[in-house]
Amino acid sequence: MSLILEFYPHLLAGLAVTLELIVCAAPLGLLIGIVIAVSRAYGGPILSPLAYIYQIIFRGTPLLLQLFVIYYGLPRLGIVLNPLSAAIIGFGLCSGAYHSEYFRGALLSIPVGQLEAARTLGMGKLQTIKSIVLPQMIRRAIPGCSNEVTYLIKYSSLAYLVTVIDLTGQGRLIAYATFRFFDVFLIVGLIYLGLVTIANNLLQRLERKVRIPG
Amino acid sequence: MQLIRESLPLLLRGAQTTMLLVSLCLMLGLMLGVPIALSYLYGPRWLRPLLVAYDRVFRGFPALVLLFLFYFGIGNLPGVHLSPLFTVFLALGLRSAAYQSQIYRGSLLAVRKGQVDAARSLGMTARQTIWSIVIPQAAYFSLPGLSNEYSILLKDTALAFAVGVMELLTEGKFIALRTHAILPIYLTVGVIYLVLTYGGVLLFWVMERSIRIPGLSGHSKGRME
Repeated sequence: MSLILEFYPHLLAGLAVTLELIVCAAPLGLLIGIVIAVSRAYGGPILSPLAYIYQIIFRGTPLLLQLFVIYYGLPRLGIVLNPLSAAIIGFGLCSGAYHSEYFRGALLSIPVGQLEAARTLGMGKLQTIKSIVLPQMIRRAIPGCSNEVTYLIKYSSLAYLVTVIDLTGQGRLIAYATFRFFDVFLIVGLIYLGLVTIANNLLQRLERKVRIPG
Repeated sequence: MQLIRESLPLLLRGAQTTMLLVSLCLMLGLMLGVPIALSYLYGPRWLRPLLVAYDRVFRGFPALVLLFLFYFGIGNLPGVHLSPLFTVFLALGLRSAAYQSQIYRGSLLAVRKGQVDAARSLGMTARQTIWSIVIPQAAYFSLPGLSNEYSILLKDTALAFAVGVMELLTEGKFIALRTHAILPIYLTVGVIYLVLTYGGVLLFWVMERSIRIPGLSGHSKGRME
């Protein structure tokens, strides 16, 4: 308890960085997920396989390796990123690959008849995707994507391993300053647990709010 | 190319450690996950809050924080000595147990009620029904979830880097630092991970097909994910 009182400014600073990571990476991931899912379904002979390869690579390798490639590897190609943006881009790219599978599942659950009906009404391909497919796909994917967002919250702690001083990083600094390792990491873990619980709650409410009647 | 050929033995040694960790963690998860799921569903009521607390901590804490909690927190308690490898095994194995218990809980619930009623009406005891009717079917239903858990666990063992276990990613990182060939080495590491991930998933798929329960295949497909 005294630990929290003494170090709460540091914990808050770390929490702020963690929230920044999540708030930036989550929408990026969702956007990438939608683009990949739609390209896989409607991308034709070139885009569709590319989207598939993207999914295979980002879902088949550890997130930490992806972060290392972006943060330590890309400067070799002349792309230098600061730790925070490297982490955000890494999280976005990886979680986009997972989101895309949820979106694709949702996409496949839309009856073909709806697309045919839209085309019969004279809608173009892009317009059909925009007005018929996307609104339904996004709604149906919410449960899966919520899951992925809570994963993102927990995996945001990996940013510390590419030198971002987020909540986990602050925890380590405090732990080394006080030598109360167990207490500090327990507190840090509980804060993450709180974040996950709050996010779950909000996303469940969103799901109920945008449900399609019938 | 020369460099990759030279570093391959080291990387493969790392991959061995990675696979050792994954199999040990999956095993610990299985050994604890099944009893947790069974006691959650059929156990005494007072046990539930404990199981829920276990579940919240191990599924709600980030894997990295759990790893630090075990390595620095428990590993620094007086009289406790944990090797880095054992710490990773413990932290990720206990975490996997929490995730696996969810898989088994779902699979146990997926066994249709009529099966249980039929077994009981044939005079089987509750214990017999669980062991001979429910568990064999639930085991089959669990395979897709387990395959998923395998691929998640495999990628999470890369976190062992944070406590200095020489698994695949750590070997790669050290070679990259030594040779300055960062991208080629990481790409090779990535390819090895891809082979391990999809090779393992393929193995689970083959296993699932080979123990398919006749008449139930459609049923199991319905509850993938």
